Parts: sequence; structure tokens; C-alpha cells
Amino acid sequence: MNALRGQMGLWKLHLAVIIIGAIAELIGIRKIPLGIGAILLLPLLYAFIMAALMNPNVMPKFGKFIGEKEVKAASPLIVIAIMPFIAKFGTTIGPAIETIIEAGPALLLQELGNLGTIVLAFPLAVWGLKMGREAIGATFSIAREPNLAIIADRYTLKSPEGAGVMGVYVIGTLFGTFIFAILASLFASIDVFDPRALAMACGIGSGSMMAACTGALTEVVPSMKDEILALAGASNLLTYATGLYAGLFIALPIVEKLYNATAGKRDLAAADNKGA
Amino acid sequence: MSDSVVAKETTRPKIDLVDHAVVLIIVCLVGLVMNTVGPAIPLMDGFMGMIVIYLISMVGLILTRFAPFYLPSVAWISLVGIVATLPWTPGSEWIVAQAKSVNFLALATPALAYAGFAIAKKEIEVAKHSGWKLAVVACLVFLGTYAGSVLVAEAILKLQGI
Repeated sequence: MNALRGQMGLWKLHLAVIIIGAIAELIGIRKIPLGIGAILLLPLLYAFIMAALMNPNVMPKFGKFIGEKEVKAASPLIVIAIMPFIAKFGTTIGPAIETIIEAGPALLLQELGNLGTIVLAFPLAVWGLKMGREAIGATFSIAREPNLAIIADRYTLKSPEGAGVMGVYVIGTLFGTFIFAILASLFASIDVFDPRALAMACGIGSGSMMAACTGALTEVVPSMKDEILALAGASNLLTYATGLYAGLFIALPIVEKLYNATAGKRDLAAADNKGA
Repeated sequence: MSDSVVAKETTRPKIDLVDHAVVLIIVCLVGLVMNTVGPAIPLMDGFMGMIVIYLISMVGLILTRFAPFYLPSVAWISLVGIVATLPWTPGSEWIVAQAKSVNFLALATPALAYAGFAIAKKEIEVAKHSGWKLAVVACLVFLGTYAGSVLVAEAILKLQGI
């Protein structure tokens, strides 16, 4: 029962999570109207902010109650805390299996839609912001753990490509839930897209971003709650299965080729000038 | 070189099942508090639901550890949740009814609280050093990934006429 003793030693961390979480749940879901759409604020967002404010690395002055020991222990706890959440999502997929099969083609092909990052972010990074090879790591994927592993393996994380993927990874860790809550709220409240399409797009291989995304969607379209959860959960599971391979064999090669064909020449020219 | 990524992702990490069983109980109890405070689901209903969720997670972990091929634990847990609730699985109606007493957003709240506590010094440094350009690019990465999937899904649903 070493695990139990270990967790008892972390009572401060668990207590803080319970208190912060309960406050966040009591505040509840809030809606901010915004012109054509609305942004939904969810308890999970408040919980993240409150915990970050108690984190000694974020707010050194407040770092009395939670110390470095708790910070270190919290990391593996995220993985375990997300498991019940994933299990719950699984139980929404089974009963909706007919819906899932019916939407199968859309569900499978929308995984390729994840390449939209290349269409949108790569041109801006390379031509708009004149970024160097960081752009390769930054724009080929949404930079979750499997994508980090791909770049670490090919370029190491200390390379420019590694700096790119790490930057997006950290921004995703710090702000991803907010960004996805906002994206889903806005897409849903303009009332142009099929809520099922919006739900499938929520599954991008990150439990917390999916939570924020589906949380916002189910608030805007409560009548389709079961369907939204099932489709998002199925899409997320598909991304767990395909994400690594899509990144490794499709997205990264495309971005590398694009970079070498365009900005790579600029880099070579710059290097030649320096040499001469 | 690329083989080793695949290898890394597909090598089975040794999961200590007893440790996980204990920590999962704590995490489920924390989740139960959220489930009772926020969505105001009666405690006993939530408790039964949480037992079902706990068992699904544990079966998923056991499969992660012992199944003849490796899948990440989250994938196994999803699969167990799906199979347990398929209409033709015996007893699935009961399982679905129990799981309905657990609110999915209430389970995400503690996970994000742990995430807030887990922010490391290094992550703050990376965020500071990356600068505004990378922040702008990151936003477009998220927008592009989401919008790309929405557009493809929308188009296929229209084509299918469903």
C-alpha cells in the first residue's frame, strides 16, 4: 500500500483540487454574448486558472500551500484523472453505435481535416512572420505528446523544429482549453454548421481540449447532447489510433517538402551570402 | 529513425496496477464531489455511476497491461466503455443508466485542476521565450485543425444526405 501512503502525503494537493473544483462547479457555466455568437465559460476553465494561480511556478508569491513536491506529483495525476472522463465518453459511444456507423465516412475522413493546420498556419508562419525551421515543428500538428515524440525523434527537441513544436505544445497546455471552448462556442452559435460536424472536430487527441470543446457545444445545442458526446468521443478515439501515423507519414513530410521548396531556398541563399 | 518513434509509442510501459487502482479511487472520489456539487446529481446515483466508471477504467488498465498487443490506456478504456454499453451486450442498459448519473464535465474539472498545479517552471520559460509569433501561429494551428475537420465532416455529411 505504498501508493496509498504516497497519496496521503499529497493530501494538500488533493484537498486543493477538491476545494478549487467545488468552487468552479458552484460558479457553473457562464455565457458571454458576443455579437453574432457567444463564448461559454466552463468550470474546468476556472479550475485550471485557480490552480495555476496557486502554482508556485506561476505565482511565486503565493507558493506557500502548494510546493515543488505537489507540482511534480500533479503531472502523472492528470493522466489518471482523465481516465474516468475517457471511460464516461466510452459509455456514450456504445448506445449510439448506429449513429456512429451511419456517420462513419465523415468520422474517418474528418481526421484528414486535421491537416487544415498546414493550410492555415504554415503560410502565415513562413511567409507572414518569416519564421525559420521552427515553423516545421510548430505547424504540422496540434503538438500533443505523440507529435512531440515525432519531432524529438527526427530533430531532437533542442533543434529549431523542436523549439517550434515545444512552443505550440506549451501554449496548448496553458491555453488550449480556452481556445477550444471559444472556437466551439463561436462555430456553434453562428448556426451554419451541422452540430454533428462540430462534434466530430472536437476529437483531436487531447482529453481536456475535447472536454472544453464538447462542453461548449452541448450548452449551445442541449437537445443533441448524447449524439455530440458520442461523435466527439469516437473521433477522439480515432485520433488516438491514427494521430501518430498521420503526423509521421503525412503531415510532417508535407510540411518539410513545403518548407524546403520555399523558405528553404531563402535559408540557403542567406547562408551563401554569409559564406561570400 | 522514424521507426523508433513508432517503437516508443508501441512499447508497453509497465503499469503498476495496484498503484493505479488506489490512485483511481482517489480521483473518482474527487470526481464524485464535483458531480454532486455542480450538476447536483443525487450522491447515491453518482456513487453507483462512479463505481461503473471506475470498473471500466480498471478493466481498461488491465488490458493495457496484459493484452497481447499494445494500445495506450486511454484507447483501451474507451474501448471497454464502448463494448460495455453496446445495445447487444448483456446488461448494457443497466450500465448506461448508471453512467448517465455521472456528468462528463464534472469529471474534467479535477483533471484541469491537477493540470493547473502541474505547470512546471520550464513550461513558463518556454512560453516566455517563444514570443508572440509562436503564440499567433499556435492559435492558427488550433483554428486550422478544428475548422479543417469541421469542413470535411460537414461536406461528407451533406454528400451522404444524412
